[in-house]
Amino acid sequence: MMTSFLFRALDKNAALFLGLLTAIIVAVPALNLLLPPDHPLHVPTYAVTLMGKYLTYALLALSVDLVWGYCGILSLGHAAFFALGGYAMGMYLMRQIGTRGVYGDPLLPDFMVFLNWDTLPWYWYGFDMFWFAALMVLLVPGLLAFIFGWFAFRSRVSGVYLSIITQALTYALLLAFFRNDMGFGGNNGLTDFKDILGFDVQADTTRAALFAASGIALGLCFIICRAITRSKLGKVLVAVRDAESRTRFLGYRVEHYKLFVWTISAMMAGIAGALYVPQVGIINPGEFAPANSIEAVIWVAVGGRGTLVGAVIGAVLVNFAKTWFTAAFPEFWLFALGGLFVFVTLFLPKGIVGTVTDNWAKVSRRKHAVDERPGDTPSTRPAPNPAE
Amino acid sequence: MPYLKSLLVVLCLLILPAGSAHAQEDTESLRPLINELAGGGFSETEQQLGVLAATGNPGVVPALEALADGDLYARKSDGVVFIGERDGRVYKLTDPLTLEPAGEERRRDMKKIKVNNGLRRVIRTALGTLTLMAPDPATRLAAADAMFKAQDPGSIEALDLALTQETEPRVRRKMEAARAAAVLKSDKPEAVKLGAIATLEALGNRDALSVLSGFLPEAQGAEVPATETAMARIDKTLAAWGAAENVWYGISLGSVLLLAAIGLAITFGVMGVINMAHGEMVMIGAYVTFVVQEIIRTSAPGLFNYSLFMALPLAFLTAGLVGIAIERGIIRFLYGRPLETLLATWGVSLILQQAVRSIFGPTNQEVGNPDWMSGAFELGQMTITYNRMWIVVFSLLVFAGLMLVLKKTPFGLYTRAVTQNRRMAASMGIRTPWIDALTFGLGSGIAGIAGVALSQIDNVSPNLGQGYIIDSFMVVVFGGVGNLWGTLVGAMTLGVVNKFLEPYAGAVLAKILVLIFIILFIQKRPRGLFALKGRAVDA
Amino acid sequence: MKKTATGMALAALLATTMLGGAQAQEDTIKVGILHSLSGTMAISETTLKDAMLMLIEEQNKKGGLLGKQLEAVVVDPASDWPLFAEKARELIEVNDVDAVFGCWTSVSRKSVLPVFEELNSLLFYPVQYEGEESQRNVFYTGAAPNQQAIPAVDYLMNEEGVERWVLAGTDYVYPRTTNKILEAYLKAKGVAEEDIMINYTPFGHSDWQTIVSDIKNFGSAGKKTAVVSTINGDANVPFYKELANAGIKAEDIPVVAFSVGEEELAGLDTEPLVGHLAAWNYFQSADADINYDFIDTWHAFTGDEERVTNDPMEAHFIGFNMWVNAVEKAGTTDPDAVIDSIIGVTVPNLTGGYSAMMPNHHITKPVLIGEIQDDGQFETVWETSGLVPGDAWSDYLEGSKDLIADWRKPMSCGNFNVKTGKCGGSEG
Repeated sequence: MMTSFLFRALDKNAALFLGLLTAIIVAVPALNLLLPPDHPLHVPTYAVTLMGKYLTYALLALSVDLVWGYCGILSLGHAAFFALGGYAMGMYLMRQIGTRGVYGDPLLPDFMVFLNWDTLPWYWYGFDMFWFAALMVLLVPGLLAFIFGWFAFRSRVSGVYLSIITQALTYALLLAFFRNDMGFGGNNGLTDFKDILGFDVQADTTRAALFAASGIALGLCFIICRAITRSKLGKVLVAVRDAESRTRFLGYRVEHYKLFVWTISAMMAGIAGALYVPQVGIINPGEFAPANSIEAVIWVAVGGRGTLVGAVIGAVLVNFAKTWFTAAFPEFWLFALGGLFVFVTLFLPKGIVGTVTDNWAKVSRRKHAVDERPGDTPSTRPAPNPAE
Repeated sequence: MPYLKSLLVVLCLLILPAGSAHAQEDTESLRPLINELAGGGFSETEQQLGVLAATGNPGVVPALEALADGDLYARKSDGVVFIGERDGRVYKLTDPLTLEPAGEERRRDMKKIKVNNGLRRVIRTALGTLTLMAPDPATRLAAADAMFKAQDPGSIEALDLALTQETEPRVRRKMEAARAAAVLKSDKPEAVKLGAIATLEALGNRDALSVLSGFLPEAQGAEVPATETAMARIDKTLAAWGAAENVWYGISLGSVLLLAAIGLAITFGVMGVINMAHGEMVMIGAYVTFVVQEIIRTSAPGLFNYSLFMALPLAFLTAGLVGIAIERGIIRFLYGRPLETLLATWGVSLILQQAVRSIFGPTNQEVGNPDWMSGAFELGQMTITYNRMWIVVFSLLVFAGLMLVLKKTPFGLYTRAVTQNRRMAASMGIRTPWIDALTFGLGSGIAGIAGVALSQIDNVSPNLGQGYIIDSFMVVVFGGVGNLWGTLVGAMTLGVVNKFLEPYAGAVLAKILVLIFIILFIQKRPRGLFALKGRAVDA
Repeated sequence: MKKTATGMALAALLATTMLGGAQAQEDTIKVGILHSLSGTMAISETTLKDAMLMLIEEQNKKGGLLGKQLEAVVVDPASDWPLFAEKARELIEVNDVDAVFGCWTSVSRKSVLPVFEELNSLLFYPVQYEGEESQRNVFYTGAAPNQQAIPAVDYLMNEEGVERWVLAGTDYVYPRTTNKILEAYLKAKGVAEEDIMINYTPFGHSDWQTIVSDIKNFGSAGKKTAVVSTINGDANVPFYKELANAGIKAEDIPVVAFSVGEEELAGLDTEPLVGHLAAWNYFQSADADINYDFIDTWHAFTGDEERVTNDPMEAHFIGFNMWVNAVEKAGTTDPDAVIDSIIGVTVPNLTGGYSAMMPNHHITKPVLIGEIQDDGQFETVWETSGLVPGDAWSDYLEGSKDLIADWRKPMSCGNFNVKTGKCGGSEG
């Protein structure tokens, strides 16, 4: 059972991707920790953290691709799940500070002392234990997605209506978390973390470990996504994407399939958020901003929708471009980024991976005039009319 | 300070008749007194004001007015006082007594005679006393208002005198109110005060309530219950008006949402383009208004009140042309792939924002309210600001105009035909690409004129569009995509719901609740308030 | 195959850009500028970037620093708080800057704090803030609450005779803390609970009808009422527009603001707002020769006679000069040496006096109360007789009244508890 599951998940391309990912997971921390700083191949800690952040974004993009690329649910609110996972982790990290906060209160985080709170709110209990926080990282986004999806899919809210109410969801959460009365630190969010599982978050080794953890999480989630999309379930999902009503008339309980993949996707986004927070050192309501969710969708579109690998590449590429542009042309980088989005839509409508695979397919078809169908054509084909 | 004020008023009254006789020759003798104003701190200035007013000489009025406006300066070198008008790095000087031009000085060589709220109140009261019998009713009204706010027992006589001659009912009412307010502060007998309480109760507004509640702690005997009943009655009327006010605020917010969303109802609702650059079209409209006002300010300041009328067509054209350019350059390649329009228009929106930031700078630009959009009027006990009222009217006009275009013109017919069945329309001879471009241009142009209106109440900055984009999408989706009536009803509903929640839940929570309301509502009606029916929608 | 190629190319690109910066060790002293040039905060922060570029250019004209030219490194953190941390790290690790001038919002400062601590660099933070912080690597050149809020309230109480208070703010940490402090302060002065109204609004709030009407209602209780506004930059324009149109005059209900400066007023017709107040440590209208020179240089630098100056610009002016002096004193740009040498450094401020860096990394400042004029400027109507030292830990908050900060040796502590005699907060 397990082997067949894995076997299904791993074809040539996926294996290649996972191999590359493993190489990066091993090589980057090694080059960072083992080589002296003046060695030409040394990877500075700055770069490790940065790449770690890209990997968590890639995981978020992967989760968006799973629902959008394979099930046609365009979520403009996935950053909400990402941020909730991040907050769960952030709360754990806050509790770990203990008496090292500026006020030295053993129980209350600094911002609560600051606002004269005298007791810890009930929802902060348990977050001093890592296992509990880790569970919440999965449960909170998962549960929210389940409840939201339960109602939305049963009511057959679809297409752009669904997109907009996911946006309303993340916007409402954004406003809610901004409120200082909520007890999550308001606009400042949670910050000034000291250590995670007893290790100093600022230490090079911890950073390298977090980087590796992000890579491993990405790899595992990739395998899961791959397994889902290549299973019978995955075929139904694609059917739902391409013709929801027909699939329903064929006797499939469309909403169950949708709900399942939606919840899984939200949990993945939660994991991404949880790994993101210790690496960037802050979580605040800004992560809920609707623009962030839209950006995540754009990463997927740039990389290639419905390809999984494309989502990862898109996320890394766009964010790398952002990092580079904001430093290289601080005054004009929005032109470059905006131009990139327009360019990709007009000239690479299937995203980078989709276009590359298509061309590859053409070339190889020309080479061996005989029919040798390349890898995964069904998944790279975008829906004819995904909004409706 | 109150003592000084009353002293001032009394002095004015006493000396007024005596002083005016020698007004002419006294003008020059005022100069040293005015120069004294440059003396020192506020208390010295206040004392000197007393001295000036005590001369009772109308010659001081320009100087007092200039001082209240903060336009009075002393030359650092010799301490002579002038009225100054800023002109680049210099001040243009005017003599405060003869009102003749007196050359100019570098800004760093002049010292401004400082004025604060306290001084301004003193000046207002002093000028009020002097102008209570002025020929212009507006001036008299302002004077009476100043008296009302001053609540100075010393002014009762002046008011009585003025009341004997006053014929304008509106000014009379204000004077009576001012007199009543002053009586409550005086040591007049109880019966007089009870009369004053009744006058104020009849006035029945917030100002009256304010005076009465200020009086309550000092009230004695029969005055206490009288004041309390009067206050309770005013409270009750005000509460009823408060509900009406909430509805009005809701409609006003709804009209803003409607304006912001109505262009999107075309580009997104009718054409199906997920137009993330919609907000930037609104921004372009606002910036057009700014540019028009700048040009008017520098070349024809007299036309400022018409600036918005000039900005409207220009904003429509500019935003419309940008919209057509976007449609021809990008969106036409994306029909049938609506989600990719999201990606491309998001890119366009980033580019437009940065373009505006590079051209105009990142800071807020000043867009002024023309006179007819400034201020407020009273409707019963409700204050309605002109700009909000005109925006409500304007949004309804825009809506009606758009309906007319879509329902009654050939272009509207083509648009509807193309959006309902593109191929059929094409085979009937409609040039669909042009209709697409024009429709997108129309939606963008409407967003542009919305920008003209929104520039009147909000920041004009590169972020302007971002602030409205989410709300606009909510409104269109809530109302039902593709239905303009839905947009109208949706916007008004969300506006009113929001404003009714706000007093109870606070601004933040109200907004969250509205969002949750939208989410739940969509569960109930998955295609919005006014859903399109038929098979076409499920394609 | 192609994927591998893409991946490889990407990795190579990453590697080159990230390693590239480290080699550029030239004969200049680098200064990082970390202000948002895009996104919501660009409105306020872009000006500060320009101001820093001007200060650096001026210093270079004077012969630079330690015989070297200064070089500005500008990055855009795009109003994205985690990006602030990333960019700060990039400035210090990749570009090798010796000091960073930047941040505006509290959250951006909080976001970069651990980075500066870890990499031991210097941050000069130029904006008025909520206090309750003193960090070894950060110098707070803006106002602490005791340098802005409390004097303003004193002024209203004493000069305007205000008895009823509306504390209106945007819902984030600066207004929350300031209002907490003010509430405690007002109550200590005998103001009754029912005479204080507190109201919070979200960021970028643009529909102020209800709140302005509430303020009017609250103000009609027969007592002199004032509004203390900690409303954040962007929301102020619609707030003041509503206020002006609703006919609330400064003579009746004055509004004193702590986040509204010349820059914010530039987007407004101030005619109906004359007399509303703001409390800062500098106004462009300050009557001092050094200020006129500064304004002239600024206008020449920007090529725009209409560009205004404001308080955070002055804070950068002071902070930059302090850093320059401290580096000259220490003879090196090494952060540890500068942290030691900068305490006690005194430089001219733009209001004609001098400001000194104190052991708690805050500076001494005059407090000015200004009234809005019809030309968009402020007129100083009151100022403290002497300089007010910035208080890192408020005396009016329960958790912090026993805390002090002193970064001189041997104490070297940002949160020393005078009761327990220990470094490390108020408990235990």
